[in-house]
Amino acid sequence: MQNGQHFIEIENVSKSFRLPGGGVVNAVKDVTNYISRGEVLVIIGPSGSGKSTLLRTINGLESYDEGQIVIDGVDLGHAHTDMNLLRAQVGMVFQHFNLFLHKTALMNVVMPQTVVLKRSRSEAERTARELLERVGIADRADNYPSQLSGGQQQRVAIARALAMNPKVMLFDEATSALDPETVGGVLELMAELASEGMTMVVVTHEMGFARRVAHRMIFMDAGEIVEEGAPEHFFTNPRNERTQRFLREIL
Amino acid sequence: MDWIFSFYNYRVVAEYLPIFANGMWATVWISTVSLVLSLIIGTLVTLAHMSHRGWLNRSASAYIEAIRATPLLVQIYVIYFGLPVVPLLDWRIGALQGGIIALALNSGAYMAEIIRAGIEAVPSSQTESAMAVGMSYRQRMVQVILPQAFANVLPPVLGQAIVLIKDSSLLSIITVSELLSAGLTILSERVMPNEGFLTVAVGYLAIYLVMLVLSVYTQRRLGGIR
Repeated sequence: MQNGQHFIEIENVSKSFRLPGGGVVNAVKDVTNYISRGEVLVIIGPSGSGKSTLLRTINGLESYDEGQIVIDGVDLGHAHTDMNLLRAQVGMVFQHFNLFLHKTALMNVVMPQTVVLKRSRSEAERTARELLERVGIADRADNYPSQLSGGQQQRVAIARALAMNPKVMLFDEATSALDPETVGGVLELMAELASEGMTMVVVTHEMGFARRVAHRMIFMDAGEIVEEGAPEHFFTNPRNERTQRFLREIL
Repeated sequence: MDWIFSFYNYRVVAEYLPIFANGMWATVWISTVSLVLSLIIGTLVTLAHMSHRGWLNRSASAYIEAIRATPLLVQIYVIYFGLPVVPLLDWRIGALQGGIIALALNSGAYMAEIIRAGIEAVPSSQTESAMAVGMSYRQRMVQVILPQAFANVLPPVLGQAIVLIKDSSLLSIITVSELLSAGLTILSERVMPNEGFLTVAVGYLAIYLVMLVLSVYTQRRLGGIR
């Protein structure tokens, strides 16, 4: 690590999309932020504020036009950076789970280990069963995604990401598509991960979770970081008028 | 009952049964080999077609268009008569090899279009999650995209396989012994077209029915997954 203490460095990152009609959307505008090892950063903001786009640039699913992102000393923008290797070390949990539809829950967790990490089948299966046990879904190991509820699928997706021994976990509205009764369990699992010291960047609308688990929060609007601080700051005296309005609406 | 006998003399057919059986067997294995080759060709051509490299992409679509624009019979002639005469070795392509290559190349172009549709039907979120666990392009294709694409396109692939089986009858023209040529044998030796060609038709129908059962069975098995 060149710059010392920061685990993830996001410096002056901008990203714009060209619309089919010819317009341009500045999804992320000149964002700078530093995330430490073991930190839980929660990003909130209205839809279209660029929070998901920012999250997706951290594992290179989205490219960025300007700025620099460095994870544990590896510069994502560098031409020689092995993006596949990097993504294997950055776990991602999607809003819609995105399990491999043609594989059972168990094989969803086994396959990336054998293919990407070149683990033996037996080792991968042992790891997978342990993780499925840990996320509370060992009894559904042989079910296909279509046979699982949203909450169950998301647990499998978390196990799949953890199987890669990630240095950091990214959560992109991981509970937004879940039935209300399954949200709590998944959030509980995420809180557990946080308490074990996992570095996490979480995009969410779950303010209770943010308040309880986040070390630091960011409010984004129109592609910019509008306000940043400890959870208590956000829930007791947010300064910015846009933050205040957003929190009033959502709480 | 005399009229049936004069319309279709089953005793003559029984006499020629070994020839029909051999012909049917030849049709089945020629089609199977061509089908496997055409699936391999179709997959590779699709991947080339989807490539960002211009020359690969253009060669793939040129191949597909050329095959679709010309009759299979012409393709068979071009490959069997026209193509590889290796002058020094005094070797030329055999009817069987030429026929199988022509069938595979022809069907491969149609398979490519079918497989491409199947790949495009796999949600992009599958690619994303495969990328997110660090899989390379090749790993994503082999482990995630193609297996789902093949499951998507099983019905049209079986449809194309049936077309291929029927098309294989054209190989009789370049002297390959298969099911249709068994009928041609009765025609030339006994001048009995019905005994020849109706029997041949029943043979193709039987193969078709087996394919149909196979397709229902495989789709039911895949049905559990999605």
